[in-house]
Amino acid sequence: MRRHVAIVGNGAAAISALETFRLHDRHSRVTIVSGEPCTAYSRVLLPYFLRRTVPYAHLFIRDAAFYRNSGADLLLGSAVERVDVGARSLELADGRTLSFDRLLLAPGSSPVRPPIPGLEGPEIQHLWRLDEAGRLDRLFREGARAVVIGAGFVSLQAAWAARQRGLEVTVVELAERILPTVLDEPGAHILRECVLDSGVGLHTGAHTEGVVRDERGSLRVSVEGLPPLAADVVIVGTGVRPNDHLLAECVAPGQRGITVDDTMQTAVEGVYAAGDVARGPVVGGGPRTVHALWPTAVEQGKIAGANLAGARAVYPGSLSMNVTSMFGVTVASLGRFAAEEGDSVVRLGALPGLRYLQVVVRDGVPAGAVALGGARAAAALGYLRPFVRRQVPVADVEAVVTGEHVAGGITPGRTRGRAVLGSFAGGRALGRGLPGSPGS
Amino acid sequence: MRIVAVDPDSCVACRNCEYACAFQQAGDFDRARAHIRVAYYPAERACVPFTCMQCAEAWCMEVCPAGAIARSEETGAVEIDAARCAGCKMCLLACPFGNIGFDEAHGVSGKCDLCGGDPRCVGSCISGALEYVEVEDAFAFRRQALDARLRHVLRLDKGRL
Repeated sequence: MRRHVAIVGNGAAAISALETFRLHDRHSRVTIVSGEPCTAYSRVLLPYFLRRTVPYAHLFIRDAAFYRNSGADLLLGSAVERVDVGARSLELADGRTLSFDRLLLAPGSSPVRPPIPGLEGPEIQHLWRLDEAGRLDRLFREGARAVVIGAGFVSLQAAWAARQRGLEVTVVELAERILPTVLDEPGAHILRECVLDSGVGLHTGAHTEGVVRDERGSLRVSVEGLPPLAADVVIVGTGVRPNDHLLAECVAPGQRGITVDDTMQTAVEGVYAAGDVARGPVVGGGPRTVHALWPTAVEQGKIAGANLAGARAVYPGSLSMNVTSMFGVTVASLGRFAAEEGDSVVRLGALPGLRYLQVVVRDGVPAGAVALGGARAAAALGYLRPFVRRQVPVADVEAVVTGEHVAGGITPGRTRGRAVLGSFAGGRALGRGLPGSPGS
Repeated sequence: MRIVAVDPDSCVACRNCEYACAFQQAGDFDRARAHIRVAYYPAERACVPFTCMQCAEAWCMEVCPAGAIARSEETGAVEIDAARCAGCKMCLLACPFGNIGFDEAHGVSGKCDLCGGDPRCVGSCISGALEYVEVEDAFAFRRQALDARLRHVLRLDKGRL
């Protein structure tokens, strides 16, 4: 049957959904509706753009030809005001309406504006959307003074980018520690040292009272217990919240995010949600969660795209994964990395390319991990990820994270004479490699 | 499409494949830069070369936030475009087999690209442990290899140990 499928959003979830949908359905009409005026770009890359490691043109991960070849109409720069579930139509900000048979809501999330007085003016920016990154790029002048409010994943990457561009940078964080959603305490401590070593000022447990502009137009950020911080640019990075207002009836009271089942369908038949906006199932059961992570958006988009075409794909649940390099160190985490009562932990440290690694194990099954160091930190968690995802018990965690179970160790020649044979993926780990689907 | 298939029973851990790969990919003989590695397990007297399997559903490719990983139409290899790679290391986190490396000098990820259809590792293999074969053929081969490996580990073929 030829349907009209509307996809609200143009990010990781939307693109992944479109691509998967077309594997199942080549005939139905698809329209992508996005409030932003450009083809898909990668939010993950914005800090790298500010660091000047990615040119502007490479921020765009799909071009116009992609949408043409995928048979998708584009309504760009058209924000959706309202979803009329009863009439099966979208009301756009420009007054138009668009009817649909099936709908995917993948509008992402938006930065939270903290209740700090004076957060107004062209020098005060989030780092979330493409236009904001462009404005920050122009504000990043060597020798300028930047104050970053917040010490989460995006804020710290923004601080690192500013530092690399030669700015004087101060980070102010209300909480007692940095990166609570990405790193455990020891990991955060190591990164903190790296931040300080890079010459960036860092104040945790510090309450930002307000931003004022003096008579000459210069900004001053007042922080409780500190002398005022003069600033040429202020970056506000205090988290994001899902753009879930489009389907408020599917947001549980007191929560954020549109609740979806394991097919990514909302409580409304034929209406799906994926990506930062969705509160979906997680690996190993437990309460549904909003991850707001790129890999989760890709996975959920795939499931939603298949099901928009009637394919009955089921999502096993998302597993959080974070990785970036900043302040000279690779920071990676996976799943539930903070140990709770009843967990055991395996810690490794001071191996070549690995400064710190902790795996949290529950009843023999790894639940998550944190790693800091070189590229090896990311690879170590890559080895571990299938075991966390499939909840496979691991007798020798160290052999897994060092890669000995599949490859005798990451470092060529480093062996301890221990092959964990057939530990997962059947014979695949034994050598005769086969294309398969290790990821999902 | 064809992939580099591995027969662990034939491998003698000479590491020629690692040298050939490093020379092709990085221009020198630093084996740490190779995209194929020979794992050596002395206690089991086993050695197994590992390289990218060019997964049918390549999670590294799907998850790359830079759109830098794509499948070559010519060879079917999952390739990283170094010009587009941001160096975020998401692919390293995505690969369960440790088959993606990171070039610190250039800040980009790297992996086996089948040398454009003429994998140097296979060309330099002295024992026939590496073959560049059609995926379907590798399938049948794998079953035999697994059986052989199990016999080996369970000491069912005493003459070999």
